[in-house]
Amino acid sequence: MTLPLELPQMRGRLQRHGLTLPLLLCLAVVAIVTICAIFGSNIAPDSPFTQRLEVGDKPPSAEFLAGTDLLGRDVLSRVIHGARTALVGPIVVAAGAFAIATLLGLLSGYLGGLVDVAIMRWVDFMLALPGPLVAIVVVGVIGGGYWTAVLVLIILFTAPDTRIVRSAVLEQRPLPYIDAARALGISKRRILFVHILPNILPLILAYVVLDFAFALVNLAGLSFLGLGVQPGTPDWGRMLFENRNILFSNPPGLLLPAGMIILTAVSMNLIGDWLFERLTK
Amino acid sequence: MSAEISSLTGAEPLLTVRNLSISAAGRAITIGTDLHVGRGETVAIVGESGSGKSLTAKAIVRLLPTGVSATGSVSYDGVDLATLPERAMRAMRGRRISMLLQDPFTMMNPLMKCGAHIEEMLRFNPAYRRRAALKAEVVRRLVEVGITDPDVAERMPFQLSGGMCQRVAIAAALARDPELLIADEPSTALDVTTQAEIIKLLKRVQRARSMSLILITHDLRLAFSTCDRIHVLYAGSLLEVGGAQAVQRDPFHPYTLGLLLSEPPADRRVPKLIAIRGQVPRADLVAERCAFAERCDWARDKCRSAKPALAEAAPGRWTACIRRPEIAAEMQALRAAVIAGSATTVLPLSPTPPMIRVQQAVKTFAGRRGRPVRALKGVSIEVRPGESVGLVGESGSGKTTLGRILVGLETPSDGRVEIAGIEASRFAAMTPADRASVRRTIQMVFQDPYSTLNPRHSVRRSLTEAIRTTGPNALAGAEARVAELLKEVGLPASYAERRPDSLSGGERQRVAIARALSVGPKILVCDEPVSALDVSVQAQILNLFKRLQEELSLSYLFITHDLAVVRQIADRIYVLYLGEIVEEGTTEEIMSRPKHPYTRRLIDSIPH
Repeated sequence: MTLPLELPQMRGRLQRHGLTLPLLLCLAVVAIVTICAIFGSNIAPDSPFTQRLEVGDKPPSAEFLAGTDLLGRDVLSRVIHGARTALVGPIVVAAGAFAIATLLGLLSGYLGGLVDVAIMRWVDFMLALPGPLVAIVVVGVIGGGYWTAVLVLIILFTAPDTRIVRSAVLEQRPLPYIDAARALGISKRRILFVHILPNILPLILAYVVLDFAFALVNLAGLSFLGLGVQPGTPDWGRMLFENRNILFSNPPGLLLPAGMIILTAVSMNLIGDWLFERLTK
Repeated sequence: MSAEISSLTGAEPLLTVRNLSISAAGRAITIGTDLHVGRGETVAIVGESGSGKSLTAKAIVRLLPTGVSATGSVSYDGVDLATLPERAMRAMRGRRISMLLQDPFTMMNPLMKCGAHIEEMLRFNPAYRRRAALKAEVVRRLVEVGITDPDVAERMPFQLSGGMCQRVAIAAALARDPELLIADEPSTALDVTTQAEIIKLLKRVQRARSMSLILITHDLRLAFSTCDRIHVLYAGSLLEVGGAQAVQRDPFHPYTLGLLLSEPPADRRVPKLIAIRGQVPRADLVAERCAFAERCDWARDKCRSAKPALAEAAPGRWTACIRRPEIAAEMQALRAAVIAGSATTVLPLSPTPPMIRVQQAVKTFAGRRGRPVRALKGVSIEVRPGESVGLVGESGSGKTTLGRILVGLETPSDGRVEIAGIEASRFAAMTPADRASVRRTIQMVFQDPYSTLNPRHSVRRSLTEAIRTTGPNALAGAEARVAELLKEVGLPASYAERRPDSLSGGERQRVAIARALSVGPKILVCDEPVSALDVSVQAQILNLFKRLQEELSLSYLFITHDLAVVRQIADRIYVLYLGEIVEEGTTEEIMSRPKHPYTRRLIDSIPH
C-alpha cells in the first residue's frame, strides 16, 4: 500500500543521481551477468557440456528454452555459464591495465624529464602497433589461449590508459595545493599517492569500466577466431563460432550469445559514461 | 522611485529598469532591482561576487544563461525590452546597447584577426560596403581607442597584450555607435597601470560621444572616481543609490560604510582595518529581511522581520536602511574615528641578521621556440626578523618566481639565496637536515583560494599532512594542534571535518594560512593572498595577517600588485619591474615620494 506513496520519492532520489531508465536497465544487465557468472551452475537448467546428438540443432522448446546446438547441448545453459569467461577476463584486463597505467602515468606526469620521455615513447610505440593483429599473432604463436590473450590485452591497454592518467596528473600538478605540499617538504611518494591519486581516481574508475567493455569485445573476438578459450568451454565468443551454421535452424543459438556480448558491452559503456559524469564533477 | 530619480537628475531617461527580479531554478538571485540611466550619464553598479550585478546587466540585454529567468520591466527609450520580439532585440544589441565583458581574451574569437571583430560590427552599414572604406573605418575606430598602429587590425588576439585586446574589444563594442555601453568589470582582469588607462579611455569615449555608460564593478573607489551615480547591490538587493560624491562623503547604508572602511586606504596606513564580519549571504535566504542584517552592527529585530524598501532619505539619495535616521550620527562618528585613528607606525629596523637574503638571483625559463626568457635579472632582497616586506609588481615582473624560489619550488639559474643563514638556492643539493630546517622556517600562502587546498582532503587531513612533516612523533599531538591552528586563524574547531568545497573563499584562505603555520615558520611568503577575495573579506584576512604577525612575530614577504594592500601591511617595499628591482625603501618613502617613473605610474593608477 505504501508503494504509490514512496515511488515519487524514490524517483526523485534516482534522478538526483542521474539514474535514468536506460541506465537502470544497464545496471540490471550487468547485475544479471554477474549473478550468472557467480551462481551459473545453480541457475542453469542443464549442464553446459551434456551432448545429446539425437536432439542436436533443435529450435526452442519447453525442454530447451533456447534450443540446442549441433551437439545437442542446451544453449541457455551454455550462455549462462559463458558469463564467467565474459566477466573474469575483462575484469582482469581492466584492473591490470589500469594498475600498471596508474603507476606509469603518475611517474610520467609528476616526475617529467627523462622518465616521462621514456614512458611516453614506449606508449607511442605501443599505440603504433595494430592491437588486435598483435593479439592474434601472439596468441596464435605462443598458444595458451584465454589467459595469454588476457595478458596481451593488459599490455596493449596499458599504453592508452597511461596517457589518460598522465594527462590527469599534469592537470593537477601545477595547482597550488601540490605546490603547498612540496613547500612543506612532503615526500614525492606521498604527494603522488596521498595527494594526487585520490583526485584522479574518479577519472580512472570511469575509464576502468570502459576498458572492461573493450576487453569483453576483444576477448570474444579472439574466442571466435579460436584463439581464446579451449574448444568446448561455454563462452559467448566461442558459441558464435560454433553456432554460426545454425542461424536459421535454431536462431537463439547464435543470437543469444551475440546479444549478450552487445548488451553487456553497451551497458558497461553507458555505466562508464555515467560514472565519468558523476565522479568528475 | 525611478521617476523621482529622472526628475532629479534632470537627464532625459534612456533606460529605466523597474522591479527586476532574476531567479534560477526557483531561487532568487536579485530581488526587485530598480535602475535608471539618463542620456550621457555614467552609472555604476557596485557589488561583490554573488551580488547579481553581472546578471542584472545580462537581463537588460536579455542574454541571461539558460535556466535563469527575469521578471520586471525594462524600458529603453520608450521601448519595452522585456516583451520585444527576439529579432528586434537582436537589432537593439550592439546597435543601441553594447556590452563589454571582463576578460578581453575570452571575449574575442581566437581565430579572428582583431580588425575582423570590428569589421563584423560595421558590415551592416552600406557606407562601408567597399572593402577599402571598411578597412579605413576600422583603422579610424582603432585610433579612437588609442591604437595608432594600423597593423594591429591584422594581428590575432593572442598576439596582443590584455590592455590592447580590451581596447580592440571597446572599439568593437562601439562600432555601431550605441547610445548605452554596459561595461562589466572591464578592467579587473588587467594589470593595475593598464586598468587605469582603460578606465580613462572609457571615460574619454563616453564624454566625447555623450554616450550613457553602466559600469559594473566590485571596486567602490573606481566607481566613485568614474561615475555620476552609484547603485550599491548586495546579495541581490539594492541597498543604496545616490550621487557618487555624496555617497563617498556620507554613505547612508551601513554596508556602503562598511565597504568604504574595509577598503584598505592607499594614502595612509591604519592599525586595523574595519572588516565586515561574516560573508555575503545567498539572495534567496534574505528575500524577506534586510540583506545586510546578519553582518550589520546596527541591525534590530525590525531589520529582520521585513525587507526594507529603497526609500529616499535626502534629495537624490536613496537607502534601504530603515534605521538610517537613528544611526546616522553613529555612522559618521565611526568614520571620523577611523580616519582620525590612522596613525602610521613604522617599526625601526632591527640590526639582527636577515631571515631572507637573496643576492643577484637570476631565473631563466625556456620560452617559446627555445628562446630563453629571463624572469629575474639579478634581484637582491633582504627580509629581517619580524619585518614585513612588500614585493610590488605587475604580472610578468617576476615577483611570483622570486617567491617560489624562496620556498624551493623553483631553482634559481644563478645567484645566492639564504634562509635564516642557510644557503638555500638549490634545495635538491642541500642536506636533508638543512632542507627540513629551511622548510620549517619559510612557508608560502598562495593566491587562488579555490585550488590551494586538496579538494579530496578534509581540513583536518590537510593540516595533519602538514603537521606530519614536522617530525616522526608529530602525529601524536596532531589532533590538539589542528584545533589550535584553526583557533589561531579564527575558525571554529568544527571546521576540521569540512571539505574545501563547503568553505567560502575567505575561509579557504584561512585554512591555507593555518596549513602554512602548522610547521611553526618564521617567515610567510604571501603571493597575492587577498586579491581573489571579495573586498569585505579582504579586510578580514589582512587583519588576520596583522594579528598573526604580532602574536607569532612572523616576517612577511608580501607579493602583490595592490599598493593599497601593501601599504597596510608592509614596512618596506621593493618595486619589481620586468625582473629587476627598480626601487626600494620604506613604505612611507615610496608611497609619498616615488623616484622611479614606473613606481610613480603604479601609484597614479590608484583611483582617487
